[in-house]
Amino acid sequence: MKQNRIGQPMSRVEDARLTSGQGTYIDDLNPLPNIHHAAILRSPYPHARIKSIRTEKAQQMPGVKGVVTGQDIVEMTKPFPVGVTAPVKYYSLAVDKVRFVGEPVAVVVAKNRYLAEDALDAIEVEYEPLPAVVDIEKAMEPEAPILHEEVESNIANHRTFHYGDVNKAFMEADFVIKHKFFFPKYSATPVETYGVIAHYEACGNNLTIWSNFHGPFTLQSVMAAALQIPSNHLRIIIPKDVGGSYGIKSGVFPYMVLMGVVSKKIGLPVKWIEDRQEHLMASSSGTDRVTWIEAAVQKDGTVTGLKMKMVDNVGAYIRAPEPACLYRTHSNTTGPYRIQNLAMETVAVMTNKSPTGLIRGYGGPQLYFPLERIMHMIADKLDMDPAEVIRRNLIRAEEFPYKTASGGIYDSGDYLTAFEKALEMVDYQGFRERQEKAHQEGKYLGIGLACIVEPSGSNMGYITVALTPEERAKSLPKSGCAEGATVSIDPMGGISVRISTVPTGQGHETVAAQIVGEVLGVDPRSVKVIAEMDTLTSPWSVASGSYSSRFAPIGSSAVYHAALKVRQKLLEIAADQLKESIDNLDIESGKVFVRNNPEKQVSLKRLIGSAHWNPQGLPDGMEPGIHETAFYTIPTALPPDENDLVNGSATYGFVADAVTVEVDPDTGEVKILDYITVHDAGKLLNPLIVDGQIMGGLVHGLGGALYEELAYDSNGQFLTGSFMDYLCPTATEIPPVTIKHFSTPSPLTPLGAKGLGEGNTMSAPVVIANAVADALSPLGITIDSLPLSPNRIWSLIQEAHNQKQLKEELV
Amino acid sequence: MNGNGSIELNASIEHVWKKLMDPEVLAECIMGCKQLVLIEEGKYRAELAVGIAAVKGKYDATIELVDVQAPKGYKLVVHGEGAPGFVDAEGVIHLTPVAEGKTNLTYSYTAEVGGKVAAIGQRMLGGVAKLLISDFFKKVKKEIENEQKTA
Repeated sequence: MKQNRIGQPMSRVEDARLTSGQGTYIDDLNPLPNIHHAAILRSPYPHARIKSIRTEKAQQMPGVKGVVTGQDIVEMTKPFPVGVTAPVKYYSLAVDKVRFVGEPVAVVVAKNRYLAEDALDAIEVEYEPLPAVVDIEKAMEPEAPILHEEVESNIANHRTFHYGDVNKAFMEADFVIKHKFFFPKYSATPVETYGVIAHYEACGNNLTIWSNFHGPFTLQSVMAAALQIPSNHLRIIIPKDVGGSYGIKSGVFPYMVLMGVVSKKIGLPVKWIEDRQEHLMASSSGTDRVTWIEAAVQKDGTVTGLKMKMVDNVGAYIRAPEPACLYRTHSNTTGPYRIQNLAMETVAVMTNKSPTGLIRGYGGPQLYFPLERIMHMIADKLDMDPAEVIRRNLIRAEEFPYKTASGGIYDSGDYLTAFEKALEMVDYQGFRERQEKAHQEGKYLGIGLACIVEPSGSNMGYITVALTPEERAKSLPKSGCAEGATVSIDPMGGISVRISTVPTGQGHETVAAQIVGEVLGVDPRSVKVIAEMDTLTSPWSVASGSYSSRFAPIGSSAVYHAALKVRQKLLEIAADQLKESIDNLDIESGKVFVRNNPEKQVSLKRLIGSAHWNPQGLPDGMEPGIHETAFYTIPTALPPDENDLVNGSATYGFVADAVTVEVDPDTGEVKILDYITVHDAGKLLNPLIVDGQIMGGLVHGLGGALYEELAYDSNGQFLTGSFMDYLCPTATEIPPVTIKHFSTPSPLTPLGAKGLGEGNTMSAPVVIANAVADALSPLGITIDSLPLSPNRIWSLIQEAHNQKQLKEELV
Repeated sequence: MNGNGSIELNASIEHVWKKLMDPEVLAECIMGCKQLVLIEEGKYRAELAVGIAAVKGKYDATIELVDVQAPKGYKLVVHGEGAPGFVDAEGVIHLTPVAEGKTNLTYSYTAEVGGKVAAIGQRMLGGVAKLLISDFFKKVKKEIENEQKTA
């Protein structure tokens, strides 16, 4: 009986240590003697010139070992490279100017954190405040305060795209429906904040950094370039336990460089653990975005063309991997719909807010909010049922693999069937009747729908769409999504697997064990998986890390291929010993046996023993030992072509959501009655982990829909610096959720799997917005911004009442 | 953030004015004021220790008296900086005699904060400002009227 194999709900091997307090997080690490502690002085101003910094008093305080300022940083590092042509100088400490509240200005190192924090008070910084700008549209006005004088405007990146015949589609349209949408800036608030330990050894010019970073991917190169150190002298070690990232932990990289420089200057190993206030104020977040969207629509509800202008606010400094938020969904801009005419304008602006970066769903929530809202608005305008408008436009099952207008290759799917399943589960017709009745009783019920395509396994090439084809032609093309894994067996038969996917809670150790167990015919619980990342010893490549849900399509495939190599070697040794053809052999329950004659067998232990203890007994020419590494990428992850067509992701899943809500007209409170989500993520590797990931992603999206916003006042002051002001959903806010799986395996990945951890992060904000808009439609209210907090809804209701009254008075 | 108010003091306008111009009285009446040192005509350096919500800390402040129109009123300009962030505040004090030995004091203020104190204390700020202001005038009243009695 095969247990815990691929596709079975094996309980997570990580959980025993995590639930018994034996996890090892960055703050638990004490890898060196004599570690000193750093504290960071931060700017209270959103925009100011630094006239002077006086550190003498702080330097002389007891226990203080040294102070580092922007002056040191300029002397010891180069600005971080970033994938745009705008000459933005981003350093790990403010130099000459501060550009957002919370920007690091100086670092104190002391014997302990208390002394370091006290010494911060003794540093005197003289600021000359400058006018600030935080609003996207204001930042683009000619008279706006300029953050980076050398850029000459606040625009960091600007591109236009034209696919198909957009003008024809709009000329021939029966209707053009357009609207402007605002998406807020929010974060993911992992339980564990950032942490860094840096140790510079002058002898040998070696810098070792321990951090709960979720890279290394492209950012190891970015850090090495900033530090001006050979990349093999920058050793990054990431503990096997990271307390959540959701993308946000990629933003620790400036602090890794900062602490590297601090360790180098002070001559001591240094540890810095971020506190929660620092985290909310200055770590990283998603972008806020303004989207102008226009749809060319025929009478029957068919959408023939789309125009979108999207402007992302990347905060005070554009930093890698931005402006990727604008392009991560480039290949799936038209979502699940058969729209082949698409015009896009993408802009990244810099304002006096904290810098942005990766976050679960990256670009998806910002894209689908306008796209799925406009589908509902089309239904309103045409007086059609939104379900019918969606149905009419969905890609048909027989059209897969489907090539999108912008070059995406949707590998598999049956969107219509999955969507109908969601409608059936929510009892769509029945709810419409309930809604009608409730309305007569003065209650506001609503139903929202959303269909989204979930990209996973990012093609590194998509980021270069930020550059024009001419700019791209000047350097090496970028493509692929390479990941590595090693499977080895020790002389006693112990199997270990080394992965480089840097899990931050997704259970990669468990799934890797399931895959290797299956391929080698052993109990997955006997397979040891090492998830700790070490850039000097792990098998990694430029795409390695935990982002774009890449473990299921890519990371697992690397593990699978490495295990296949080991299996092949074991079978070859067995064929030699059993004097049988390799084609007749099978591997199971710790043995290799002849398929038609199972009595004829040899134990794995003996085969492994041969490879280690008796290499002379191996088949001719075979290397001793068992240690195999495989790297995997997907052949469809090509560089963008000269027409800006790009397939940005390895695989594309599908999510159909149906959500019902009730809105209290007196308090503006939104209550979610039912949340139905139908997922197609190809073959599921471990259904238990899958449902956990879906719930987590959904709750993050729920936060974006109803609660979370990193708010700033118009002067650039940050207003949500604690969990009293920055509201996250907790257990009591979670609505009833029903998850249903519907599987069309990916023909591209060896296991048929696709990524799935981000789908509902992308769909929840818009599906809830659609439901609320539906509930409030009798009042003529339009939802085009988030979060749908009670005060926002209440104000909309009051406004609607006032307008109605005004109209009645005029009549 | 802004606000205003008025109080009636049982003292002559001249007496009230004298007290309001006395740095020792000001230092006594400003909550959390550790020190008030004259650095130039009409300008003081102060050390203020104020807690707003969870943000307690010291501010190095300058307090400046401008538009001084004896004995009718003046404007107080406060700029404080410290570990919790910064505070910029302006208060206008206006005195009018209402009767023999009675003076009406009206005031208005605006305040802005930045940094940590804005990020964490914003919700509390209105309340804290009201508390600081009313505490100041309560103490001023006490200072003035107590002395009246003993005099």
